[in-house]
Amino acid sequence: MSNEFIALAVPALLLFSAIFILLFGFSSHYTKNRGYFITLATLFIAFIISANGVGTKYSILILPDIFNSMVVYDTFSATFISLFLLGGFLTLAIAKSFVDKTNFFTHESFVLLLFSLFGMVVLTMANELLTAFIALEIASMSVYILVGLNKNSLKASEAFFKYLLLGSFSASFYLLGMMLIYAQAKSTNLDVIAEYILHTELHSQLLIIAGSMLIMITIMFKIAAVPFGAWVLDVYEGASLPITAYMAGVFKIAIFAFVLRLFLKDYITFDAIYDPLIIGGALVTMFVGSLLAVIQQSVKKMLAASSVVHSGYILIAFASIGEATSSAASAIMFYLFAYFISAIGAFGVLSYISKGSDKAINYDDLDGLAKTRPIIAAALTIFMLSLAGFPSTIGFIGKFYILTSAIEAGYTFLAFFGVLSAFVSIYYYFKVVMHLYFKEAGHVEVHYGYKVSLAFIVLSGVVVLWGGVGTSLLLDIPGINALNELSRYSIESLGF
Amino acid sequence: MSVLSAIIFLPILTAIFLFFVNLHITLVKIVYMISTLVVAYLALNLYIDFDASSSMQFIEQHAWISQYGIEYHVGVDGVSLGIVMMNALLMPLVAIALYKQRDKRGYWINLLFVQGGIMGAVLALDLMLFYLFWELMLLPIFFMIGLFGYGKSNFISMKFNMYTIFGSLMMLISILYMAVEHKEQFGFYSFALDELKNITLTTTESLLVFSGFMIAFGIKIPIFPFHTWLSDTYRSAPMGIVIVMSALMAKLGTYAIWRFLFTLLNETSQELAPYFIWIGLFGLIYFGISAITQTHLKRMFALSSASHLSLIVVGFFIYNSYGLIGSSYFIVAHALSSAALFLMVAMMYERVQTYTIDSLGGIAKFAPLFALFFAFFALSIVGVPFTAGFVAEVLIILGAFEYDTLIGFFAATSLLIPMLFMFKTISKVLYGETNERTKNFQDLRSHELLAVIPLALLILAMGIFPNYFIKKIEPTAKAFVDKKEAVYHE
Repeated sequence: MSNEFIALAVPALLLFSAIFILLFGFSSHYTKNRGYFITLATLFIAFIISANGVGTKYSILILPDIFNSMVVYDTFSATFISLFLLGGFLTLAIAKSFVDKTNFFTHESFVLLLFSLFGMVVLTMANELLTAFIALEIASMSVYILVGLNKNSLKASEAFFKYLLLGSFSASFYLLGMMLIYAQAKSTNLDVIAEYILHTELHSQLLIIAGSMLIMITIMFKIAAVPFGAWVLDVYEGASLPITAYMAGVFKIAIFAFVLRLFLKDYITFDAIYDPLIIGGALVTMFVGSLLAVIQQSVKKMLAASSVVHSGYILIAFASIGEATSSAASAIMFYLFAYFISAIGAFGVLSYISKGSDKAINYDDLDGLAKTRPIIAAALTIFMLSLAGFPSTIGFIGKFYILTSAIEAGYTFLAFFGVLSAFVSIYYYFKVVMHLYFKEAGHVEVHYGYKVSLAFIVLSGVVVLWGGVGTSLLLDIPGINALNELSRYSIESLGF
Repeated sequence: MSVLSAIIFLPILTAIFLFFVNLHITLVKIVYMISTLVVAYLALNLYIDFDASSSMQFIEQHAWISQYGIEYHVGVDGVSLGIVMMNALLMPLVAIALYKQRDKRGYWINLLFVQGGIMGAVLALDLMLFYLFWELMLLPIFFMIGLFGYGKSNFISMKFNMYTIFGSLMMLISILYMAVEHKEQFGFYSFALDELKNITLTTTESLLVFSGFMIAFGIKIPIFPFHTWLSDTYRSAPMGIVIVMSALMAKLGTYAIWRFLFTLLNETSQELAPYFIWIGLFGLIYFGISAITQTHLKRMFALSSASHLSLIVVGFFIYNSYGLIGSSYFIVAHALSSAALFLMVAMMYERVQTYTIDSLGGIAKFAPLFALFFAFFALSIVGVPFTAGFVAEVLIILGAFEYDTLIGFFAATSLLIPMLFMFKTISKVLYGETNERTKNFQDLRSHELLAVIPLALLILAMGIFPNYFIKKIEPTAKAFVDKKEAVYHE
């Protein structure tokens, strides 16, 4: 398969499948199961196709004559696209019982899921600010609606409205910033802007600096960094669990993918100006996120708040990008892998045991799960350990890379704060483990449904462990080294 | 795969196997016994094959995370050999003594897991690998206290967990800092002990890095003032884990000081040694006096353990071959005695359902064998001649006198404190007035005898023929002291 084919086939497949379900949904042959499986199959096939593009180093402009160099397909985007598709697939596969037991997963919801994935795929390939904005809005709009899927739930409606309003508001900053950049650089193409920045003196590019700052506000909003992330708790709580998993595990990573490209291509020159801001942002994000996570009573909200802390860790690496470019950038990639699989697993377990009910899962609801469902409890424990950065899980390796890159860049104090918030995170993550194992069962044994969902949860758990210890000494399966190489190739394919 | 890897991973794999395969509890115990006996056999072979004329042996080395130079790198020398042997020996004996009391799968699975974790941490020569096992062995302890502990076990397991992880994270920062420094000075990442010791750090840097490590080790041991988790945790923890903590995990902390701090930051350690000697001496007295005031047997022995561990720390920090050999000998001797004593306490608890010293008394009248062994182990802890503890304490005190007369004097006199509470306990528990609880005290049963006799024999053997055991440590000590001389003459 040529790379160009992959780059075109994946978004096209997503788009056609979405439109197909949209039409098929009105036919009398449509059942929820069929819609579900068509979506799942689409994601799987698209994943298989896109996984072909991962591994070697390349970078091509897709049909530069038609698209005017707006989209670029490189190892970087190939890796991330595969990740999103896998994420969408896993979320949906784990959520089978949830989808079955609720009545708000209509055919539109599958369409929206596919559309949002389409948006993310284009977003990662976007080499140009306007394309990126459009892709970002396609993805965002779909996610807004997905949040409000459950029309009967007040919380979901509130979350939808809040997210929509704030999201659209923050998006306007992006437009303004883009305009300012265009006013000076006379282009929205990332390469052209980078060229311009490089050949112009720093003090005469005020518009670009201001514009980039405005774009950063939108980004900070989307990744829920403090102080722009006030929406995150309510929205994550209001959305139904599979959607929360999707937002935390996939959508956020898509944003980071774009930010990474933007940073490495353009922002890196302004490193000295932005570093203090990012460092401040990282510190505040970790601090407030930890505080929020500690006080939550519901596991879902705790995970939402802790996702803020994880954004903080990633910001540490962003701050280090200027001084330790390659190691910081690949640390971000690796951390995204790690967070992706752990978050999907953790939210997946919650959606698996909530069985489609609307109520928030409190710590008490997990009591005694280890006795009734030992495998699920063990899987959730593994995800918690990984999120907490406990050795032998992929989360630890991710933290290890981020902290190393921070020290390498000379920000030892930042690494120290990262470690401190990791210490606080031990409390709230181990609280889950404590409830799973040490409390007496408060509920009767229930049947949770599909073995397939369980299989995917276990699979994610195994991946988490393998990502933490995996080596070719034991089994010839890609382990830590391979993931490492993958992230390095991806970064190098951007020209670094 | 070398014998060391087998020793590390056999228990862990068995634990995983037992977790997934839902066997009957009797079978679980049998599998546990088989696994620990195989490990004990392997460790015994290791001991016999161990070449008494050289230091680091049985090295196994593979690339693990190659981009960062992290390796799977294990090896054994005279000091770690002692802990490996103790770990391998105590685990089956614990099961022999306690198998009737514990009927939960989780108990045995976690014990196996902790055995593997400790083996890994002792044998690791790569800092990342060490960190992995160091953290990993926490997990089973956390579960054991939470699942099988007494009192406010949830709170206590969480407190213990947070406390020790805080230390570990401080150590992590230090490790990463050293690795990055290594990269800057030599151009590539490495976490190997042999590589990292070559880097040069400024005084401030090395002090900070040293504190990072020391917080982690100090909490594990614990030395004053990081001991506030100690008595609650020991009181709440089930006996299997108390034995692991007092006999093995705490020793691992002292061992790690020697292995990592003295290797990586030799000069800083030597400069700071006087402070830690005084902290150690203070801890020896402070924990000893606290132990005198306790009425709860487990807490008392916990504090007495801490008091002796402070002595081990002193022994390492006096930095000469007497101190080193004495301390590593004491690690083994104290592991044997404290494990045995805690086993006796567990047997006693099974019979009288109490740990309070005041509600006991007159046991010797009904259970002469129990009284004999209890008294023997209690005396061996305080270092009565012909027991292993005596040899070790004499060596440490000799070393202390060689280092400084005042410190030698303090070390020697403060050893009287443990005698105070041990004799008090013996007289109160074994003799004293008989009461309702103790009047039906059953003497040791055969499986309990089977567990304690080997320990008693070993303690005697180590007390009477110390040379046979010390000769395995000597090359390591010599290499260590030579290195120290080299630093002095630079």
